[in-house]
Amino acid sequence: MGEISLKSSVEDLQRSLNCEWPAITAASRTAHETQALLRRRLDDLDSEDTSIVVFGSLAREEFTAGSDLDWTLLIDGHSDPQHLSATQDVTRRLEEDRISGPGRERTFGRMAFSHNIIHQIGGEDDTNRNITQRILLLLESVPVAQRIAYDRVVKNILQRYLLEDRGLWHGSKAHKVPRFLLNDIVRYWRTVAVDFAYKQRERAGKGFALRNAKLRMSRKLVFVAGLLTCFGCHLYLPENIKASIFGPKPNPAPLIDHLLRYVEATPLRILAYELLEQPHPAAARNLFDAYNHFLGLLADQDSRDRLESLTFDELQGDPIFRQVRQIGRQFDKGLQQLFFDPRSRLYELTIRYGVF
Amino acid sequence: MRRFGFSTGALAGGDFRRALAMLRDLPATCVELSALRLPELEPLMQTLDHLDLSGFSYVAVHAPSRFDPAEEPDVIRQLQRAAARRFPIVLHPDAIHVPERWSVFQDLLLIENMDKRKATGRSVPELTEVFGRLPEARFCFDIGHARQFDSTMTEAFLLLRAFGRRLHQVHLSEVSSHNRHNRLSFGAIHAFREVSHLIPEEIPIILETPLQPEEAELELARAAEALPAPVTAPAWR
Repeated sequence: MGEISLKSSVEDLQRSLNCEWPAITAASRTAHETQALLRRRLDDLDSEDTSIVVFGSLAREEFTAGSDLDWTLLIDGHSDPQHLSATQDVTRRLEEDRISGPGRERTFGRMAFSHNIIHQIGGEDDTNRNITQRILLLLESVPVAQRIAYDRVVKNILQRYLLEDRGLWHGSKAHKVPRFLLNDIVRYWRTVAVDFAYKQRERAGKGFALRNAKLRMSRKLVFVAGLLTCFGCHLYLPENIKASIFGPKPNPAPLIDHLLRYVEATPLRILAYELLEQPHPAAARNLFDAYNHFLGLLADQDSRDRLESLTFDELQGDPIFRQVRQIGRQFDKGLQQLFFDPRSRLYELTIRYGVF
Repeated sequence: MRRFGFSTGALAGGDFRRALAMLRDLPATCVELSALRLPELEPLMQTLDHLDLSGFSYVAVHAPSRFDPAEEPDVIRQLQRAAARRFPIVLHPDAIHVPERWSVFQDLLLIENMDKRKATGRSVPELTEVFGRLPEARFCFDIGHARQFDSTMTEAFLLLRAFGRRLHQVHLSEVSSHNRHNRLSFGAIHAFREVSHLIPEEIPIILETPLQPEEAELELARAAEALPAPVTAPAWR
């Protein structure tokens, strides 16, 4: 095999394992078509100071017929009352195209301001919405049309995480893992997991099975991609580049440049990239077969509707939810093989950075 | 020691004679003769051979930033006078209509990176396309534009890494979010120092900050603070 590419890693992994994941391929194709549609419909609504950014399954290239569209108007520039009109226009045009809008938590479908996202990392003002927007900008986001405001914000977020990580520049550890960034990714994953319980209570169990499936699979995948992104700073950078970054004077630009490639890649591509770098066929099959099955379920409207409407009492004997559990277990098994196999190069990093 | 100078446009708009008179009293060894607006080009070119530029070790000309496609051949024809004097010609990539026409200037042509409001020429991929059409052209690195486009200076680093071998001149100023050139602030100086070591000492630095004559010396001191000479040459030199 030639040089491994993040851009084609899922396809390359399929080829290397001589298998097919049709639901993943179909969801990726639908996502590309939908992104192109949005680009045509919305490209006059942003500017050099604003970007319309999509998140969730569309950004992850896992878009299926029943998927919601999570988006935000990201503003990085002087204030302008017209920004609200642009936001309302996005909503109106998506409704005209019968594209389902964001979920009920109202994290998306509105304006988001770069100052909060960049400056409020930690502390009382770093709200649930703020950390969600910040981490998802890094792990599952795509600008629909003009991207320069988006690029600026992402680079500034990364610069804060890196430059304020004293251990990264001045620590004596041989591993170069950006811990400030990693800690916030871990915090976000735990927040998602806690919010799962919150929503279960708040919504009296409505939609539990679908949210459970997403927590086991897509939400967990985003966390896995975040872990690999952080570990990748140590694993994937050539030694001469590392030397230029971590010299006597901190030089974060090449590290930001490196991380931007992961920001641009989908979580599945990041996972596939690691499985190509460090082949582990059993883990790869468990992870991607399970994920393919998961996306197949979500793409099937009857299964999705069933998961959406199941009550707690119906969960136990339901065949669709049983599949969700099996898929979740298979995905977890793949993760155990990838991260906790003592022969794996991820093993030591996981032990050192994964929990404590 | 670095060589610093001013753009005549920043000092006196289209009045290049007044700007040159101001520069006589300043410790500036470089100058960029500005014809940023199209009507400024003809008077500048017609006077070029009669200007006293003897006090400068480096002289460049800034081409107009906007003209119609039909005007492009005449702009190039007029700029031949600058080329005949071996003066580098700074050009905005978004001003170009037919890139091949500009290839007559070979390595005297300096392509400048743009600010965020422009549709092209802002980043490495966008400039790679421009240099692909003008392979002999060199690079005028506008550090203020680069910071306005990306305040982390990552794009500045990437531009210098990608086009460092072509680097021939630097434009220095602070560029506001409204795309205006301003005097250097504390934040700008701090940011510019991050990439200063990637700019070789011999590269001329042209200040584009609008100034009153009495402010010029202080601004030169700020410029020296923002871009200290590197201890060692960047890897690509």
